[in-house]
Amino acid sequence: MDHKKAHSVRYLLLVPALVFAVAPVYWMLTISLKTEVEQFATPPPWFVFTPTLAHYYDAFVTRGFGQYLLTSAIVAVTSTACALVIGTLAAYGLARFELPFRLNRRLSLWILSTRMFPAIVTAVPLFLMMRDVRLLNTRAALILIYTAFNLPFVVWMMRGFFADLPRDLEEAALVDGDSRLGALVRVALPLVAPGLAATAVFCLIVSWNEFLFALVLTQTEAAMTLPVGIAGRVTQYEIKWGVMSAAASVAIVPILVFALALQKYLVRGLSMGAVKG
Amino acid sequence: MLLPLLFITPAVAVLLALSIYPLIYSVTISLQRDTSSGTVWGVGNFTRLFTDNFFWTAMAHTFVYAVAALTCEFLLGLGLALLLNAQIRGRGFFRASLLVPMMLPPVVVGVVWRLMLNPDFGAINGTLKWFGISTESLTWTASPRLAMLSVIAVDVWQWTPFVFLVLLAGLQAIPQEPYEAALIDGSSRWQTFRHVTLPLLKPAILIVLLLRTMDLLRVFDQIFILTEGGPGFATETISLYIYRTAFRFFDFGYAAAMSFVLLALTNVVSAIYIKFLQPPEAT
Repeated sequence: MDHKKAHSVRYLLLVPALVFAVAPVYWMLTISLKTEVEQFATPPPWFVFTPTLAHYYDAFVTRGFGQYLLTSAIVAVTSTACALVIGTLAAYGLARFELPFRLNRRLSLWILSTRMFPAIVTAVPLFLMMRDVRLLNTRAALILIYTAFNLPFVVWMMRGFFADLPRDLEEAALVDGDSRLGALVRVALPLVAPGLAATAVFCLIVSWNEFLFALVLTQTEAAMTLPVGIAGRVTQYEIKWGVMSAAASVAIVPILVFALALQKYLVRGLSMGAVKG
Repeated sequence: MLLPLLFITPAVAVLLALSIYPLIYSVTISLQRDTSSGTVWGVGNFTRLFTDNFFWTAMAHTFVYAVAALTCEFLLGLGLALLLNAQIRGRGFFRASLLVPMMLPPVVVGVVWRLMLNPDFGAINGTLKWFGISTESLTWTASPRLAMLSVIAVDVWQWTPFVFLVLLAGLQAIPQEPYEAALIDGSSRWQTFRHVTLPLLKPAILIVLLLRTMDLLRVFDQIFILTEGGPGFATETISLYIYRTAFRFFDFGYAAAMSFVLLALTNVVSAIYIKFLQPPEAT
């Protein structure tokens, strides 16, 4: 009996927290589906309204959000792929080779420390560097920067996964005449595949969500990512609520899908600095 | 000796080029000032910090923001973690739903809360009006008085889930034995919490506090979307002021100088964090 009462107290506190966490996002979804008349109605219609897809059409067909979406996807996928290849190699090297001068440890810590710089600190010089090499307003600039940004995270995640792996299998492959790279690709990688996938998803989310570098480095329609496109609409005088909400709603779809798939790895990933820059 | 180099060099090269070189470059920028008689080298940008009221106001905002948000996020996150650390029905559902705010792109968080907080037709004032509550003075992000409160509340909304998640993982890693021992000793629930749970949760608490402090000190995205540092400069934190200096006034030298103050602040925190994460020696 006492047990049951304790549980109902838990629910009594958890349900409002749940509503508070989810209701604002739900509200934005409804705004994206409402006609302008219903958007501004009082009392605000939380549940009963006539849904319309007009804002989605307006945002992604009439206005440039289709282009921003494409840019975001290209930048996120390419930078994730680069970070995974370069980072996995380094992680494997750090986990498997005995380097002199305690370099394994020192390099690992140094790599992690680069992840801790506040974005605005490197944004100023990176803007000037990209201007000097004429890469402002290009996808290449963002791909380069996001690769470097995700790299420490990949190294730390993958280093942990490799360290958990027994060495015998790779050593057997080496004895059979395989090269180190062959042992990594054919033996070790398949065994850490779930970890690699989780790491990839974290990188995708970080690149997809990133705002400050994208804001500083891309100001043209052709190079803008989705967050910058949305932000540009928010700060203008006349705010198109429906268009903005439609674009924002589309921006969260991949994130929510990925996040659900990732639950198991969330804590490990987040304490290595994923998600937020 | 050559083989390890092949594996590790690409990563080191990328980081040197895109993380370390920018920092060095930034030092040289910060030591230059454009004057009417050309570029002057010196520490002028750094001495200017001491007399710049905008800078100190932004610093004060950053500290208020960080302390208030960290306190709320920690207490709420711990509370939620304790609530969900039990065998209750729908636990997975609660856990997954509570994490939603944390996963959203910061820009989307900004949009969501602009919609919620709009004084005229936002959901909050609209719903309050419906209950017959006067909302005339509740202009949220448009009011100098309420703007800081609003941006802090939004941070708490987005990042309490993170604190909750890490602390819940910490709670679940605590073994049963100490609790059984406490039960046999006849400890009260508060005593058990105070002398068993808290000490064993300390590593998780430390991790989460350090990570949040680092992120709070450099906060930019949500505030930029919600208020752009306004109204006036009421919510301008240090990152926003650096952004304004560099990309509105194009005074890169001064922006670089200020960014080193921010870097020094976050470095203190990250040094503690990295020391704490110490990787095992023999891998």
